[in-house]
Amino acid sequence: MSKPVLIVGSGPAGLSAAHSLASAGQEVVLVEKEDRLGGAPIISGYARLVPSREWAKDAIGGMVARVEENPLIKKHLNTTVDSFDGAPGAFTAKLKDGTKIDAGAAILCTGFTHFDSVNKPEWGFGTYEDVVTTTQVEQMLSSGSGIKCPSDGRKPERVAILLCVGSRDRQIGREWCSKICCTVSANIAMEIREELPDCNVYIYYMDIRTFGLYEGDFYWASQEEHKVKYIKARIAEVASDGKRLIVKGEDTLVKRPITIPFDMVVHAVGMDPNVDNMTLSAVFGVDLEKYGHIQKASTYAAMSETSRAGVFVAGAATGPETIDDSIAQGQSAAMAALSLVSSANKEAAE
Amino acid sequence: MPIHEKSLIRPENLIEQDELVIDGIDVSGHWSTFITSRAVTDYNEAMQDEIAGLPGGEFIHRCWQCGSCTNACTINALNNDFNPRYWIYLIRMGMEDELLIDKDIIWQCVSCNKCTYACPRDVNPEGVMKATAHWLELKGHTPKSPSMIFDEGFSEQVFKTGKIEDGLVLRQFFAATGQKLTQTWLVSMVLGLVRRMPLTMLTRLGLATFFRPRTRNWGAARAAIDEYVNEKQAENNRLLGLDKMEDGR
Repeated sequence: MSKPVLIVGSGPAGLSAAHSLASAGQEVVLVEKEDRLGGAPIISGYARLVPSREWAKDAIGGMVARVEENPLIKKHLNTTVDSFDGAPGAFTAKLKDGTKIDAGAAILCTGFTHFDSVNKPEWGFGTYEDVVTTTQVEQMLSSGSGIKCPSDGRKPERVAILLCVGSRDRQIGREWCSKICCTVSANIAMEIREELPDCNVYIYYMDIRTFGLYEGDFYWASQEEHKVKYIKARIAEVASDGKRLIVKGEDTLVKRPITIPFDMVVHAVGMDPNVDNMTLSAVFGVDLEKYGHIQKASTYAAMSETSRAGVFVAGAATGPETIDDSIAQGQSAAMAALSLVSSANKEAAE
Repeated sequence: MPIHEKSLIRPENLIEQDELVIDGIDVSGHWSTFITSRAVTDYNEAMQDEIAGLPGGEFIHRCWQCGSCTNACTINALNNDFNPRYWIYLIRMGMEDELLIDKDIIWQCVSCNKCTYACPRDVNPEGVMKATAHWLELKGHTPKSPSMIFDEGFSEQVFKTGKIEDGLVLRQFFAATGQKLTQTWLVSMVLGLVRRMPLTMLTRLGLATFFRPRTRNWGAARAAIDEYVNEKQAENNRLLGLDKMEDGR
């Protein structure tokens, strides 16, 4: 019997990798720092997912349930990996709670951290209560509490969504596109319009990157069916006139300054490298790329490999990623890990 | 402070006061010129819906501002200010004041439909121009165009009698638009007709001028048409918020 595969993180990528390995009869040890499985979609309380519009608690919840029920997958919650030594086929991991784990391979599915909007103070988050993040709006939707201005609980009549908050911004060292926020924002805008038909939603953008098939179902559906309006402007400042928020910037298509009143401003927050990546890099001996995501060894020939043999990676740990691609990468990493541990097993038998 | 490059500022945005005292300080004269803000301070959210509700405007929300329409436009080639792409944007964002600046050229669209074929999003820009010109008239921003006056007189006659008497259409149109009936081209056309037409047809034409014939049993058709026209008018008024304005008066 080969040694188990250690999977760190139980978001979409980790859940998918664990399920795939267990389906192939491979033992898995799953380590999760939070008190439950599911990763960002569950912990942060996402609402309906792109592109299926299934509720996160159903879609990802289903993945959690099948991992929880699987006897081949051993779960360690509320803990992290303190040390990781050895060679491919024979690693030893020590958890913070003292547990020792023998592993043939490891898969890092450690995901990302939501950008913290207080790092862009000019856009009012932390100063005005009615400036919120996409994550907060997801929670308003998923909890059933409805879309309300946090300051006084009123239903907003006009909402602005600012794109690229914490993305594509050299000023704060975040040059990457977070990939998902355009589509997520279009999705949220449609949700708001469905819940509050009298509330107008404006999306302020520099470029729209609702890539691939999202073009029709999100970018255009939001405009043609839900009358969401897109304005090409990078907002300079979010202020207040004492009653409503004032969004200032330049409408670049008409070369005119704008100072428009809004009831609620939503930051489409980007995906930062996981705040724990420096620690993960040190513990697992894997390199990070220049922005601080876990570096992939190769783009084409060998998927899922890191700079250290036997340690694989999947999902948003390597950079902004969608949920469905994270799931695919989880399976890909599972395949890579499985071939390693089964060949190590064969060698041991010979 | 004199303003450099004053020519770049729209004259209506320049304010000069011959006599002006602020906080007891005399700031009269051309050197105290003010420029009004160009900032857009609000969106008119009804505007896109109003235009989209009129025939031709239905697909305005598909526009992604590529400019293919303006590039293809016959009139834009003659007049840079004729810019369908820009007007579609103003309508979508509800920048009514800005649109009204161009109200006297929007109607100049010649419906060549080059934009319609160029548009990658099937916006039907020609239809939007038509709807916009219509909107400007309904809202009272532009006077009724001669073609609208003609159409109204023409349709009214058809609705009333089920028939058209060309002479009457012309007489009414010239009267309503303040034009002489004795236009040279008309006179020569009538003289030509008199000279070349067979006598029987001329007699019939002449009789029809005095005894306006009606389509037999036109009453029911007329009632149905009137009902439909009234319905459409009420719908337009509701759509454009004109019914509320009338109630308020």
